[in-house]
Parts: sequence; structure tokens; C-alpha cells
Amino acid sequence: VWLLFGDIITVTIGATVPTGFEHTAAEEIKEKIGVDARISKDRGRVFFPITTDKLFQVHLLRSVDNLFVVVEEYHHYQFKESKEETLMELQQLASTLPWTNALEVWKQNGTLKKKKGHRRGGNTAKSKPNCEGVGGSMASTEQQELPQENSAPEGWAGDTQAMETSTQDSDETGHGSKLIKFRVTCNRAGDKHSFSSNEAARDFGGAVQEFFQWKADMTKFDIEVLLNIHNEEVVIGIALTEESLHRRNISHFGPTTLRSTLCYGMLRLCKPQASDIILDPMCGTGAIPLEGAIEFNHSFYVAGDNNDMAVNRTVNNICHIQKRRADKGSMSGLPIDTVQWDLCSLPIRTSSVDIIITDMPFGKRMGSRKKNWDLYPSCLREMARVCRPGSGKAVLLTQDKKCFSKAISRMGGLWRKQHTVWVNVGGLHAGVYLLKRTGAVFGQTPEDVYESRGAVHMQGEEKDDKELS
Amino acid sequence: MKLLTHNMLTSHVKGVTKGYPLLIKATEVKVNEVEFNPQFVSRMIPKLEWSALVQAAEELGHRQDLPGELVADYETNEEFLKKVHRILLEVEVLEGCLQCPESGREFPISRGIPNMLLNEDEA
Repeated sequence: VWLLFGDIITVTIGATVPTGFEHTAAEEIKEKIGVDARISKDRGRVFFPITTDKLFQVHLLRSVDNLFVVVEEYHHYQFKESKEETLMELQQLASTLPWTNALEVWKQNGTLKKKKGHRRGGNTAKSKPNCEGVGGSMASTEQQELPQENSAPEGWAGDTQAMETSTQDSDETGHGSKLIKFRVTCNRAGDKHSFSSNEAARDFGGAVQEFFQWKADMTKFDIEVLLNIHNEEVVIGIALTEESLHRRNISHFGPTTLRSTLCYGMLRLCKPQASDIILDPMCGTGAIPLEGAIEFNHSFYVAGDNNDMAVNRTVNNICHIQKRRADKGSMSGLPIDTVQWDLCSLPIRTSSVDIIITDMPFGKRMGSRKKNWDLYPSCLREMARVCRPGSGKAVLLTQDKKCFSKAISRMGGLWRKQHTVWVNVGGLHAGVYLLKRTGAVFGQTPEDVYESRGAVHMQGEEKDDKELS
Repeated sequence: MKLLTHNMLTSHVKGVTKGYPLLIKATEVKVNEVEFNPQFVSRMIPKLEWSALVQAAEELGHRQDLPGELVADYETNEEFLKKVHRILLEVEVLEGCLQCPESGREFPISRGIPNMLLNEDEA
């Protein structure tokens, strides 16, 4: 099949999103691309149609980790009884699939990425740039920027010859055409399969190699073919993004840095309004407030942490983004500030914050179970104090659901649970809790008074006690 | 540290009842360009302690002609909003300290980050 160059075709795009935020992603897709997305039974995946003239829009999506173009989808694939027959069938499949459109999209996508230039994945910083301050001169060279321009998978950016040879028929030889390198990644889930993902990848990959005469290379590939098998659902696709994209904002990582897509999902959940003051009192490397300052930039963010390294990394990450913006010629200043503080004793005026959004320490990844028992009630109280009664909200991510639920149940006078999203963070099951701040004035609810007897440093606490006695 | 943040910060040293606003002693101040959004500014003004903002701007030598009292109909006064935008978001204290008005305790600011951590005896 010959395609006239410039023909607009419609394809199906698949996107992987943080599990639990499929609906958020569908919302964003509707908003930015104007199409309805379909949520797959395989959690963490959504599909939507797009025309090739609008392809660049997919790269504006902030809720997706990875994108791929669908070659073919089978909703009720009937696997053969034996492993040998099943694998044989997969091999035969390779030469019958409708590759043309998908490969065309892959090619166009490659051109798009080259134009974008600055899009970076996240790598742990080998050298910390001496960031002088917001918008200020960067004293040392930011060494990690250069390698990231061509980061994994290698051989991708700047390899124009590879792109030109992809969709030509085999009887036409490209002029000095370079050999295409590819790999197959197989994800398999389901307990009725007679084969492993490795076997499927190997056999399917072998057949693809035969058919296209591409060269297989696990690390330096131009094309990544995806074979996703979830029970009876089989999807074959071609990747449009590299793995590292979900760490887009962060150049200085910490031990528990959240991926930006998860940060975006949490932010969408709390629907930041113009001029909302949004606090992250345990910001770590600042991933959440930084995503907010970029994507929901009509609000103002204050990122805080008690840890020296954390606040410094946050400032480094902010500076990195501001420099990137300045390099592109746009106004670099972001609506965000960083403070070093103790979250159980916030140096913030009562009732002055609209939204609190944070990733609370997990028992296993940071802090400890015992510490959480004590930490959660005190910080929830302090957050209630600074949060505006009636209109205030909180979006809190935690893995320690038991401890958190118990702490919240004792604060019905200050916080009400509105919604919970179950997510997966680094393999751990966690909950994102959306809370509403009640209209009650801090220091006057029954639980409050009970709690405040034990607290040492609440302002007005002595006054409460006097009133009671 | 931007002055919008400063407007919310308060001293929480034990026993202090009038810890706001914190006095600013700046040794390094920088002015950045931040995109002007009139709606953002006009909706933020009611959330601010206006006199504390003016005082802070004064302390930094950036007050210019910011009025001591809010002007009427500021929502539609773009010139006024631009002045407020500048003082809220564009002027930043990089180095210096914040001082509790009651106890005199100083909180250092370094790389634009105020360190509000208290010692054990102060908490």
C-alpha cells in the first residue's frame, strides 16, 4: 500500500497512565484533544483516536506516562491450546498486521520530537549545578542537560536516515539508508496463558525481524514494538515516547520523588482555582508544587520541608525549569516559593491557605509505622489550622491507609473525606484522599480541644484551656 | 522568598502572641520577570494583609508609590494591579533574614529559602 506523503490518517493512540487516574487522563484528553477516550480493562491504560495532523497534541498531555500508536487490537484473542501452536501463531501474525499507518505515525512523531528539542527525560543528576537563585545566573554548567537531549533510547533523536527508510517497500532501496534497529517489549497478564512474556517477545520479535529485515537491538533501538497481552485482550503497538518521560520536571531526584504524571493527577483532583494558595508542607524534591506551578499556573505554590537536602533540591529543580524557559525566550518566573519548616508547627497565618497537597511519608519508604501514628494526627491538625474553613481542601497521598483513616476519623470536626483514588506508587498500593475543610473554626471543635491538651505549641491553646476550666 | 509568601509567614516562637508581620532584613534582593495575570492579582488582594505588604515593600526599598490603603475599584485598575503584581511576585529576597517582631529571633534566608525551624527550647 502506497501512502501519499501528507495524507491525513486516523489512528488509535494508547496511553499508559498512573493506575487510578484513568478518568483524569480521559478528562484531559477530552479537554486538550477533544475526543472521547476509552478506558481499557487493563488498568492504567486509555485509548483514543487522533488524526495525524493533530499528532503534536498528544505531547501536551500531562497525565500520561507513555504513548504508543496501535497497530492492531484484539479484544477476544483465542489462544491455541499448546505453547508451540500459540507461539507459532504469533509468529505468523507478524507478517499479516496492518503496520503501514502505525509506522507512518511513528515516522511523523519522530519529526515532531526533533522540533521540540528541549524535552528531557529525568536522569539522576551527576553534577549539581550551582543554582544562584530564581532567574539568576547559573554559575556552573549544567552537565546533565547535554546527555539528556539524546537520552534513552539512544539512536533516536537526530537519526534522520533511520526515519527515511522505514516505510519504503522492499523493492526500493533507500539512498545510503541506515538499517533500522528495533526491539519488542511484551507485557503479559493473565493466568490462562501457556507461554511467558519472554517467549512471546522472542518469537514475535523474530518474525518481525524476518518480515522487515530490521536489526534487533535491546538498548539502541529506533523502533520499540509493544506486545501487550491482558487475558484475551491483545494489543500490538509502536512506542511514541521514551521510558523516562514521566520524570519531565525533575532533574534533582530524592529518595521518593513522585513521577510528574501522578503529581498532575493529584492536582487535577483538587481543581486549583485562580489565586488559590496551595501548600505542600512535605514537598521532598518539590515535584508536586512544581508541576502545579507549570500546569496550573494561575495559583500560587509554597513548597516546604524540614530537610536541608529536600529544600535545596526543590530550589534546584525550580531553577532548572526556569532556566529552560528562559532559554526558550519565555518569561521564566514561576509562581512558587520554598520554605524550610516543621510541618507540625507551620509558620503560616491561620486560615490563609486554600489547598494542601502532599505525598505523606510511607511507613516503608520513609519514616516508620510508629512515627506515622504520632505524625498523622498532629500534621492533620496543623494543616486544618492553616487551611481556610469552608472552602479549603486537601489532597493527600499515603500508603499507610490504616493509620491515616484512623487519624481522619478523629477529626470529623475539621476534615471530611470527599473522595479517594487508589493508586500504585513504586509497586505499593496507596490512596489519594481528597478532603474538604469543614466550616468550623480551628480550636473550637470538641476533638480539637481534646487534642490540644497534648500539643505543646499551638497558639491560642492556653486560651482554650482557660475557657474550659 | 517572594513578598506574597512573606505575607503569610508568621513567627511561632513559644509564648509569642504578636509574631506577625516578620521584619525583613535583606542583603540580596533580585527582581524577576513573571507573567502578569490581572485576574490573579485582583483575586489575591482580598487574601492579603495589605499593610504588611506595604511595610515589607518599604523595607526592601521597592515600595515606589504603592498606597498605604487599598484604592477603590482596584479590580479594573490595570496600572495599580501591575504594581501589586511586581511587588507580590517579581521582587525576591535571596539572602538576609526575617525577624520576629516580638522576640527578636532571626530566621535566616539563604538561596531564597527562609529557614523557619525552631530550636527545641523555642518550640
